[in-house]
Amino acid sequence: MSTAAVPTDEPAPTGTGEPGPTDTTTPAPAPTTPADELLALHRSGRLATEYPRLKTLLAQLDEDRSARAAQLLARVDPDEVLRAHPSLPALTVAITGHGTLSALVPALALEGARHGIVLRTVVSDFDSYVFDLADPGSALHAASPDLVLCLLDPMVVRDELPAPWRPEDVEAVLAEKTALLEGLVSRFAGSGSGTLVLNTLPLPRDLVAQLVDHRSRARLGVLWREANIRLLRLAETRPELVVLDLDPIAGEGVEVTDARLSVYAKAHLSPRMLSRYAREAGHLARLAAGQTKKCLAVDLDQTLWGGVLGDDGPEGIEVGDGPRGAAFAAFQKVVGQLASQGVLLAAVSKNDLGPVRDVLANRTEMALREEDFVRLAVNWRPKHENLAELAADLNLAVDSVVFADDSAYECGLVRRELPGVAVVQLDEEPARHIGKLLRDGWFDTRELTTEDRARPALYRSEAERKDFLHTFDSLQDYLRELGVRVEIGPVADADVPRVSQLTLRTNQFNLTTRRLQPAEVRALAEGPATQVLAVRSGDRFGDNGLVGAVFLRREGSTVHIDNFLLSCRVFARGIEQAALTTVLSRARADGAHEVVGHYRESAKNAKVQDFYPANGFARTGGAGDVGERPDEREDEQPDAHTSERPGEQPDASANVRTFRHDLAGIPPLPDHLQLTDTSEGHTP
Amino acid sequence: MNSIDDFVTLIRDDLGLDVDMTDVDRPLDQVAGWDSLHLIALLTRLEHSTGHSLSLPAALEASSLRGLYDVAVTG
Repeated sequence: MSTAAVPTDEPAPTGTGEPGPTDTTTPAPAPTTPADELLALHRSGRLATEYPRLKTLLAQLDEDRSARAAQLLARVDPDEVLRAHPSLPALTVAITGHGTLSALVPALALEGARHGIVLRTVVSDFDSYVFDLADPGSALHAASPDLVLCLLDPMVVRDELPAPWRPEDVEAVLAEKTALLEGLVSRFAGSGSGTLVLNTLPLPRDLVAQLVDHRSRARLGVLWREANIRLLRLAETRPELVVLDLDPIAGEGVEVTDARLSVYAKAHLSPRMLSRYAREAGHLARLAAGQTKKCLAVDLDQTLWGGVLGDDGPEGIEVGDGPRGAAFAAFQKVVGQLASQGVLLAAVSKNDLGPVRDVLANRTEMALREEDFVRLAVNWRPKHENLAELAADLNLAVDSVVFADDSAYECGLVRRELPGVAVVQLDEEPARHIGKLLRDGWFDTRELTTEDRARPALYRSEAERKDFLHTFDSLQDYLRELGVRVEIGPVADADVPRVSQLTLRTNQFNLTTRRLQPAEVRALAEGPATQVLAVRSGDRFGDNGLVGAVFLRREGSTVHIDNFLLSCRVFARGIEQAALTTVLSRARADGAHEVVGHYRESAKNAKVQDFYPANGFARTGGAGDVGERPDEREDEQPDAHTSERPGEQPDASANVRTFRHDLAGIPPLPDHLQLTDTSEGHTP
Repeated sequence: MNSIDDFVTLIRDDLGLDVDMTDVDRPLDQVAGWDSLHLIALLTRLEHSTGHSLSLPAALEASSLRGLYDVAVTG
């Protein structure tokens, strides 16, 4: 892999991951998958009583597991849910239309549970939509539904074609059906309540292909689409009507019809199309229940741009140029498109604010600018705290926030702490960011007003720029569930390139910013008085790999920490404390009397200036405070692989502080993680 | 799926129906909660997990869960 263009700090942990090496003294609880948890709730009959919890579990299921969960959720009695949770929003949804419709029930049950809305579904008899909608005394009207889903499918037309047929026959049936639907919509408006939902009819290829001449095929295409246009136009004048356009869904490759289900079961829309339809209906249910999303909070590194700003610098991040840069720029445009329609855009990112503002102001390829954001929550605090504060600051319920991030860790944290926040989990493939953001219609609304479009400007007051202290207490429970594991030991030969890379690219959690080529790392690892420790970590989301390094040097009874590095992607999970505690413990075991740590200020490492004092070290002060070994490479030029600019290379005038630990009270290991120490009994 | 016990477990866990071995020879219309929707969902599930196609007409003609199981294992 090229090291020049690819950001080498840790990608977001992904996947479920395999357990890594573990310390047998503190076994982690066996990870339970969300699907297992759902099944356990079903088996113990607790899906109804635990209903509010389901949204967090369902958010983590793939399409297949969601379809299975839907079947279980369809068995849950809405009354039982409401008895347990009387304050949950509840809606009645009537299902009518052409063909067998009951397969929509599980799909809707899934969407209801995803959104924490109790949906009572009332399914009409087979093919009774005309009577249902036209007769004010029908069972459908008697149910006083909030939503009426009238499912239309291409068989509405095909069922009535003569054999053989010609395009004119299709034209006649389409004219009759659209006129009928127009009449039904009028009748519904006069007698019904709630929102009526119709849908367009995707044109089946196996209807088109029955015509052998292209002229007739083109004619059929025109007639069919004109009918769909008439349906869509109805919504322009009917406030109670929504017409869902199924063509874009079919265009994504979702099959409209499953031939066997259509023939044998008279279910004319495929299960996947029904689940997509239900997803749209779920957002209409949200609207009916008054649950609207108003704010989109986006991460920055690997979300709006490629790379890690703190390490790669404002000029080093990927946006606009190159294939990945273009993907991020395209995503930014879509985010901006949402913001232009009244969605309040906020950045929630672990970064220093200065460089972020620099990028927003000066990277010309950025589609988004500071003025597009109503707030920049850019600091080092846990993201759920920032989101809660952001919502309070904007005078919104936190449940009206949608959060998009590429990090499984951050997404998991927000899901756990703020279950009402919709989490859009992105990954390392920026080309898919747009699809993931738009997968759900989180910001769907019936009609956009002038006030909506103007809303962001109202909120765009000068954002508060707080530089917060690190307050991670609220993270403890999450970290415990995360199953963080840390392995610390001498670097193996195979680790040398990666450790060198960390020294070259890590800027933020880099106590002395010493840049080392692989040969130099190897020399230090093999030196008689020096040692290099590699830090690896992982958690239930997966393996993070080699994330940190500690450079040690023994001088008499003193162990110097010449440098301490950690990828900022895993910062603040206790990994740095575990590594430091290990160093202190080993030093004491090996007869040292003190450990001395050095901090050399750089343009980017301010956030770790208190790392040693916060962990039991005392500032030494005096002459020893400058001119220590960490300065010896001060005249070296930046490495070609780094994004460092000349002005940022450590220099002789850099402020070096020295801290001492007397090895008396070694801080305990953070109790949420498992440590494996492979140091094998010696410090240098 | 290796036995009718597995089949019953699948119906319980994937369809959410409260059935047990005493239901397998009962006429389908006497199995609590059963309807044709379940048949479709079940066959889709079985085809997905086994990777081969099953006969929907044969399944529609099955009169009991055991009959469905026979369709599922014989294709």
